[in-house]
Amino acid sequence: MQILQYSLRRLLYLIPVILGVSFVVFFLFNVVAGDPTPLLLGKNATPSQIAELRSQLGLDRPFFMQYLDIVKSAFTFDFGRSWSTQQKISEIISQRAIPSLTLTLPAFILASILGILISLVVSFYRGKTLDVSMRVLCIALMSISSLVYIIVGQKILAADLGLFEISGYETGFPDFVPYIILPVIIWIVLSLGPDIRFFRTVILDEVYQDYVRTARAKGLSEKVIFLKHVLRNAMVPMITYFVIQLPFLIMGSLLLENYFDIPGLGSEVVRAANSNDFPVLKAFAILFSVAYIVFNLITDILYAVVDPRIKLQ
Amino acid sequence: MSKLLITVLISTFFSCTKSNKATVKADGTIEKVLNIVVSANVKGFDPNQASDRYSGNEAARIYEGLLQFHYLKRPYELIPNLAESMPEVSSDGLSYTFKIKKGVLFHDDACFPNGKGRELTASDFDYSIRRMADKKEQSKGWWLIDGKIKGLNEWRETTGGSEASNYAAPVAGIKVLDKYTIKFTLSKPFPQFLYSLAMPFTYAVPKEAVQKYGKEFINHPVGTGPFITGKYTQGNKIVYTKNPNYRDEFYPTEGSPGDKEKGLLKDAGKKIPLVDKIIVKIMTEEQTRWLNFKKGKLDSMSIPTEEFANVMIPGKGLSDDFKSKGIVERKVVGLDVTYNAFNHENELFKTNKKLRQAMSAAFDRENFNKKFFQGISQPAQSVVPPNIAGHINGFKGPYQNLNIELAKKLLAEAGFPEGKGLKEITLHYTYSTKSRQMAEVFQQNMSKIGIKIKPVGVTWPELVKLVNTKQTMMYSMAWGADYPDAENFLQLLYSKNGAPGANGANYNNQEFDSMFEKAALMEDSPERTALYEKMYKFAAEEVPWIIGFHRVTYGLIHGWVENSKSIEFDHGMVKYKNVDMAKKAELLKKL
Repeated sequence: MQILQYSLRRLLYLIPVILGVSFVVFFLFNVVAGDPTPLLLGKNATPSQIAELRSQLGLDRPFFMQYLDIVKSAFTFDFGRSWSTQQKISEIISQRAIPSLTLTLPAFILASILGILISLVVSFYRGKTLDVSMRVLCIALMSISSLVYIIVGQKILAADLGLFEISGYETGFPDFVPYIILPVIIWIVLSLGPDIRFFRTVILDEVYQDYVRTARAKGLSEKVIFLKHVLRNAMVPMITYFVIQLPFLIMGSLLLENYFDIPGLGSEVVRAANSNDFPVLKAFAILFSVAYIVFNLITDILYAVVDPRIKLQ
Repeated sequence: MSKLLITVLISTFFSCTKSNKATVKADGTIEKVLNIVVSANVKGFDPNQASDRYSGNEAARIYEGLLQFHYLKRPYELIPNLAESMPEVSSDGLSYTFKIKKGVLFHDDACFPNGKGRELTASDFDYSIRRMADKKEQSKGWWLIDGKIKGLNEWRETTGGSEASNYAAPVAGIKVLDKYTIKFTLSKPFPQFLYSLAMPFTYAVPKEAVQKYGKEFINHPVGTGPFITGKYTQGNKIVYTKNPNYRDEFYPTEGSPGDKEKGLLKDAGKKIPLVDKIIVKIMTEEQTRWLNFKKGKLDSMSIPTEEFANVMIPGKGLSDDFKSKGIVERKVVGLDVTYNAFNHENELFKTNKKLRQAMSAAFDRENFNKKFFQGISQPAQSVVPPNIAGHINGFKGPYQNLNIELAKKLLAEAGFPEGKGLKEITLHYTYSTKSRQMAEVFQQNMSKIGIKIKPVGVTWPELVKLVNTKQTMMYSMAWGADYPDAENFLQLLYSKNGAPGANGANYNNQEFDSMFEKAALMEDSPERTALYEKMYKFAAEEVPWIIGFHRVTYGLIHGWVENSKSIEFDHGMVKYKNVDMAKKAELLKKL
């Protein structure tokens, strides 16, 4: 009951946040970005055509009315149609979310599992050669641009060695699998550096707690201490870390999707940006903000589930 | 757990890795597939919206127009497509009467009764041309016929708003004489009108499909063309299959000198299209395109800038490595011109021709060409590119070649000796690493005569806004031909096309205007060519912009692709391409 009340109250906070996000979106696209119609009409647009299109798109109406349109779409999730492809934006999102998730979800799950396992091991051997080497490796992995992994991976592993598909995507399982393996591996490599550093820190925070000393004094094995006690207690910050990443998973990966020709939401954002497709960009900005807030709320609720000491008020 | 997942994924991967395997058709022959790449997203198939090359090409695989360019002949020559023959033109050059081919069918689609494509009639062109004028449709090709067809602009004013456009109302300049005959009457002579009828904007669309699909018509292609595809959803590829009901059309039996020797007439007289399927792959990243090409997954592509030195050996041509794999190169001379425009609304440039001339003479085009175009582009001597009447081969513009002494002299005569007293000039350009480098090299060139340039990189929408609102001092731009006529380039300097029109430089010269207006009414003739040439020289002397280059690029094609000829206006030309699948199987082993 307490969770329900808390959730409802937090959801009500969404209203001012959406109003604020709508204003930022309005300011960026309707005020700062300038008139998109000459670009939409092409290099030979006539002045009268520009005026007509502005009228059709409602860009000649008072700013306040244009802002209200954005607010309305933010609450109804009816974002209209793409300016360039004329597809309904809701259709675009539902079509493109699946390819994005087929890439990001397995990549995220595998990277997280791998990250936690490696962090447990290096935490166990803290200060030893393995730990130090892993820290150096993590910094090295993080220091290299994601583009390098993509370009080198695509050229050497896919084109030269022929281990993976160079690019492409097919709808339906298992047809898409060959196309996502290399992007998934690159995602994991990209994630491991920050993941291991973060997980190691939170695990080490727990390792020095009194309850660990007590567990050792009780004669519990290190395996039990790490997997049952330390990992459980380290879950609170880890949950925050995981859940906050979920909206990013839905949005896909701009670079990976572009280089590997995966028709997901990430590549759609790039397409929309390149073609001045403001309705699509506005929809993505609003949806992402809402998703971010909702997943934050889920994080808070999960805190209470995982850690009984935390009370939702 | 992670090991298990990885094992599952890898085993699935090895069980379904795709290869270049050919498909055998029901009749036992191998399916001929053409793999084409495009480097930008395709908006859709509505010919009305086909303002960019990518969308125009895709629309032209589905839809067709009255006319088309001859695939092989150069200079470019218009020939009938859906027209039975070239039109009858009235002696005053105002009326064009077309007979259209009988028995041409639209693709089968749910928009027609029983889903069966109906016959194309003259009314479809009446509808399609009016649709270009319909305000509600916001056709990107309206400029092409704006003010050209008698009564169409007046009809346009009755369209739009919330009421349905009245397509039944008469338009004086469009008359359907019978089921297969249509007559266009122009309000004034417009010799380029026939070119308009070869452009995707004017292709025939069926009214039934537009009405059934409404705004989504752009994603429901229903034409008469050689290929068909289903409902389009934005993705990473478009698959076309041969139209089984395509009329009897044949590969040309004659071409330009040398075409026969190059094997371009091997399929002469054969029924087209020659391939069974086209797969258009949308790849926005150059590396992705390049790696796929090298593996034989794409049939052709242009050479990436970074790879040019490895692929094309100076003085030798294509490298032996590529030759041994059966790959051939193809030179593409673009019908375009790049330039750094002055804003002539700015008093500094409007009144000071010598300043413009000085800056042009200080621009080191040779070095610029080497740095940014691998030295293969052609430094422009004036505004009209080669291979179009009006371009003068061998002409040297008086200020188009590096001459620092002349530049310094002209600058002094302009009132700014060694640049003294001249304020900093802002050059806007569309931001990218290469454009920034280009702007910086230009800046260095100008500094040699004491002129300070401030390059400012902005996004393309910002640049368009700045140009349209006349807020630039100078800006970098390029123009590609809409059709092979010098008028399409010279109109960039016509004062009545000032911003937000095509003359973004706002160049305004009465003498030039009067020549342009005279030429605009003339049919193609030696007299018109002479006038174009006079305007060509006039622009070279006047330096309305710092004229840059006519760009040249090289493409690579795998040896299994046949009938591949460079054509600037390549809409619909894929129907002539062929693929030797046996040769492909052999050559793939070498890749």
